[in-house]
Amino acid sequence: MGVIRNKKAFLAFLLPGLLFYILAVFYPIEESIRLSFMKWGGIGKKQFVGLENYVTMFHDEVFYKAFFNNLIYLVIVVSMQLLIGLFFAILLTYMTKHVTLVKTLYYVPCIITTVAITQLFRSMYSTEPMGLLNQILQKVGLGGMVTSWLAKVSTVLPAVSIPEGWRFTGMYMVIFYAALVSLDPSVYEAAKIDGASEMQILFKIKMPLIKDIILLTLTMCLTGALRGFDIPFLLTSGGPGNASELMSTYMYKKAFSSNQYGYGSTLAVFIIIESILVVYILRKIFTSKEQKEEKRIEKERIRRNRRGNH
Amino acid sequence: MKKKIIKIIFAVLIILFLIIQIYPVIWLFVASVKPTVELSAAPFAFPKSITLENFSKVLSDGKIGMYMWNSLKVTVISLILIVVLSSTAGYALSKFKVRGTKTIYSFFTFGIMVPVQITLIPLFIFYSKLGILNTSFSLILPQVGFALPLSVMMFVSFYEFVPNELIEAAVVDGCSPLRTFIQIVFPLARNTVITIASMYSILIWNDFIFANTFISDTSAKTVAMGLKDYVGAFGNVDWGSTFAAIAISILPPLVIYFALNKWVTAGMTMGATKG
Repeated sequence: MGVIRNKKAFLAFLLPGLLFYILAVFYPIEESIRLSFMKWGGIGKKQFVGLENYVTMFHDEVFYKAFFNNLIYLVIVVSMQLLIGLFFAILLTYMTKHVTLVKTLYYVPCIITTVAITQLFRSMYSTEPMGLLNQILQKVGLGGMVTSWLAKVSTVLPAVSIPEGWRFTGMYMVIFYAALVSLDPSVYEAAKIDGASEMQILFKIKMPLIKDIILLTLTMCLTGALRGFDIPFLLTSGGPGNASELMSTYMYKKAFSSNQYGYGSTLAVFIIIESILVVYILRKIFTSKEQKEEKRIEKERIRRNRRGNH
Repeated sequence: MKKKIIKIIFAVLIILFLIIQIYPVIWLFVASVKPTVELSAAPFAFPKSITLENFSKVLSDGKIGMYMWNSLKVTVISLILIVVLSSTAGYALSKFKVRGTKTIYSFFTFGIMVPVQITLIPLFIFYSKLGILNTSFSLILPQVGFALPLSVMMFVSFYEFVPNELIEAAVVDGCSPLRTFIQIVFPLARNTVITIASMYSILIWNDFIFANTFISDTSAKTVAMGLKDYVGAFGNVDWGSTFAAIAISILPPLVIYFALNKWVTAGMTMGATKG
């Protein structure tokens, strides 16, 4: 709470930012919701159709395809970013030299525009000329696996998910590393003296202590994956067929290629509801877990104290 | 002894992963100086001869310069707006004794959850009604709007460290809220400003989705979009030119990153831990 009581000055400082924010973020949300009840092809009059767009959506096969594709995309991206990120963050805490350099370099992929990354992966996946991936497969004697990864229905979804996962792994590693080194060493030094193994310290002490960071990164990562767009759109634009269609690429196509602005908005509203729901559910899960954890730690402490007294 | 072996294994793993993370980026630059013939014959081998032909080809038609200029315009104007709007709004929210600041603050932070895709259709319609598609402004509005939640948050959490006594003293001495802001509070926020500016300069420079939606004129294209164009123009065959164009366009963010590394990571990490 501040100290200046001047109301006029308050408004003068607040309003420019607030108005900009409302115009850029909230006006579009309101408009999207309104449009999601309309039928409109871009020209002529908007026609109010009630829930028709929503009914269409729940009967749309491509919508379900995109939804389940998005789930697979999400699993691949999230597990790459968080598991690999966390794994290397842990490894890095045991290093003493060149840590800053390694961190700096790990981070580089997320500085590069998605268009460049797409180009990079396109050339790696390609068969003509033989891309890096196929070359490596040939070298290690798996020549039979050589294929055009982006043109095959069975491989295209992982192929568009991996670049996105790769791009941000380093960033999550840096976040986890920062959280791990900020822990008070005296906590786990004490456990070490008590004879706890490194593994026990890691899973029983360090992981619970950085739980908040894990929740936050998970939130970021999940909402990020739910709105994934750039790389799939640029690499395959949902193809072949709808094999790599995601929610937002489908929305984009419906609105800007087929000019179904109403239906596109319905899909956009679905994406925003989905994102907010995920954040909400995660918070729920983590708080109940937290309470359980606290109880468990409390018990543990009492038991240990008793043992100590003997 | 055992400990040492484990440490070596860790180091090897870290280096292997480092290669996975960094090799593609290095390869991008290597590919850009390779002659096209060599690039199609052995794209991933080290170049036998170095050529700057790709670069001169890309630079000669002047398009990339125009794209970079457009990106620069959007980035700089957006950055100025982000810093000005969020530093003032943050000041209002943390240093004024007015009711409702908490509600407005959570209203701002709610924006972090909003996916940018939701704005595309409404803003596209709004812009075409006003006839401002294909202008820098059409990109600046959403860029600034979506940067505000996190930047306001960062300024508010910094201002918490500025003691209220300092501001009280200034007010007692007859200093107006505006002067207090310009002469006392804002100069203290130097680190926050650099953090926000460095992080968003990279994010805005790299933006694809807004540019792809609101820009279709070649003369208004930004670098990220222009790159896509390059690929098409050379029919996916002339990889050399494509990589030269990519190398040129990712250089500015990389320079900013390596120069202001500490601030960029601080910003992005804070974005994560505060979100």
